[in-house]
Amino acid sequence: MPNAILKLESVGKRFGPITAVDGIDLAIERGEFFTLLGPSGSGKTTLLRIIAGLEPPDSGRVLIAGRDVTELPPYGRNIGMVFQNFLLFPHKTVAENIVFPLRMQRVDKPKRDERLAWIIRLMHLDGLEGRYPNELSGGQQQRVALARGLIAQPELLLLDEPLANLDRELRSEMEVEIRRYQKELRIPFIYVTHNQEEALTMSDRIAVMRNGKFEQVGAKVEIYTNPASAFVASFVGHANRLEGKLVELKGDVGRMEWLGRSILVPSPGPLSSGARVQLSIKYEDLEIAPAGANGTLLQGRNQLPGRLRDIIFKGQTANYIVTIADGVEIIASATPRALSLKPEEAVVVHWPAAGGACFPA
Amino acid sequence: MSAGTLQIATRRTKLHRLFAFRFALLAGPGALFILVALLLPLLSIVVFSFWRTESYELYADWNLDNYRVMLGEPAYRVFFLRSAAMALAVTLVCLVIAWPVAYFIAKHGGRYRLLLVLLLAAPFFTGVILRIAALQGLFGPIGLINMTLTEIGIPPIQVLMYTPLAAGIGLVYLYVPFMVTAIYLSVINFNFELLEVAKINGARPWRAFIEITWPLNWIGTAIGLVVVFIPCLASAVTQRFLGGTQSASFGMSLAQQFGETGTWALGSAMGVALFFSSLVAIILIGRSINLKRSGFTGVINR
Repeated sequence: MPNAILKLESVGKRFGPITAVDGIDLAIERGEFFTLLGPSGSGKTTLLRIIAGLEPPDSGRVLIAGRDVTELPPYGRNIGMVFQNFLLFPHKTVAENIVFPLRMQRVDKPKRDERLAWIIRLMHLDGLEGRYPNELSGGQQQRVALARGLIAQPELLLLDEPLANLDRELRSEMEVEIRRYQKELRIPFIYVTHNQEEALTMSDRIAVMRNGKFEQVGAKVEIYTNPASAFVASFVGHANRLEGKLVELKGDVGRMEWLGRSILVPSPGPLSSGARVQLSIKYEDLEIAPAGANGTLLQGRNQLPGRLRDIIFKGQTANYIVTIADGVEIIASATPRALSLKPEEAVVVHWPAAGGACFPA
Repeated sequence: MSAGTLQIATRRTKLHRLFAFRFALLAGPGALFILVALLLPLLSIVVFSFWRTESYELYADWNLDNYRVMLGEPAYRVFFLRSAAMALAVTLVCLVIAWPVAYFIAKHGGRYRLLLVLLLAAPFFTGVILRIAALQGLFGPIGLINMTLTEIGIPPIQVLMYTPLAAGIGLVYLYVPFMVTAIYLSVINFNFELLEVAKINGARPWRAFIEITWPLNWIGTAIGLVVVFIPCLASAVTQRFLGGTQSASFGMSLAQQFGETGTWALGSAMGVALFFSSLVAIILIGRSINLKRSGFTGVINR
């Protein structure tokens, strides 16, 4: 990408014996919402701090807008950052917090006021200018933090789990808001989270991180529907994991033996038969029918008979927990109104042959 | 109020009385001690300052002569200004010395930081007189520094021998641990992440200090200023041992009224003057504290 705003070239960082970031290459374009998704300890926050200049990398280069900033301190980089715990200056008012970056850049007062009025309107902070941070709600504090991060129109905005401290309802509201700011301002956002729903809601592209490396980088739909590894498959979306033995492999389709049943799976790659494989299949890709349902409906599909143990109602969908064998359960999600199943009923779970994603176990 | 509204009368229950009793039991002794040991002597000094002393006896005839003498005699004014200037200089020097030390210990002291602060207080284990005597042994004409210099053929440093500078160094030595402790206690509660935020938002380290660190630690710093300035203003012993004739302080003169000259009433008036000067200093420093602007009332989000 020649027009990359941010470019990382084999960036690495170790803390003692632990490799936090392991040779990361990345390019992010203008106007992109990019998410680093990974469990805690995967190195995503360290990578963000390297981009910010808060942590010097042991190897590699960081380029922002074509300029090598690897050796520059944070205050030379022209970036904004929003933190999980807001980190507003407690002794400054909302307005003073927001214009802080402009004051540091010696922007004159009329221009500062103009920018302040603009961002206050954008972020719906009207009337709060004179308040102190401890007089604001969590959501307001986070909006002030966002305003402070964006007012100077930085080259890019870094967000370190900014919604983790907010309650659920506010979080989903802010997810939409943050994406709106990003699309309106066309500033690239780099968003760190361990919450896959947040990542899927907001991002254009997602990098799934594990042990300091990218497991997969791609458009969010690609990551969701076409996981590159078992880790990505289990981390993004809700999936059942069936681990069995590959007994046959013909082109794109394999046959897996699982609990004495035969399941058609997509090819897990060049493996010899007998290898252990793992099928990952998302809840919503499974369908459920009463036992003895119309045979033609199930023709050519993978089928697992079982007993419906419970229905977890979630509103738009419900999770059907089906006991396949002793202690083995799989979950299918469906629109609750479409089905009139009762717990303890005999059911069959089915899905298209070779559906899901299969990896060497 | 509508007819149907339920009225709940406030009443004193057994539990109320129990809480009141418990409070009295806990707070009572301390309050009594403060009243007897602190306020009564202060009150008596105020009373004495309007009395008269003659041949080491106090007479209760009310007059303003003591104040007239204290404000009229140039010597007392010189003593007072000298003490005030000394206290101001010592406080500022303590501030400059203590800030980096306290900050460093709080930030980088790790598990040893409490130990390091206690170590600073180690000289207190010996008592004031001994510490000043030790300094005298260091600075005096036959002290360690000047003896060594004389031995190797360099003339002794005159400004260290019984000068205001020597007294000032002595006072700084005595009071800098208080300043360090006050600032340290503030800085350990400071959220250093705020400095990262300031830097990301374009503040250079020095600017970040002025914008963030200093205002958020101003209360602790102000307490340090008070606990150094006030005793320095009243200080007598240090000047007497180290300062020579040029350093005679208000406190020394005050001590004299209660000792050699036996003019207790005048001494009391000087004590009242000292008390009100200290009060003014506290009020001036206190006025600089804006609780909202200190971050003190704000929940520092961690």
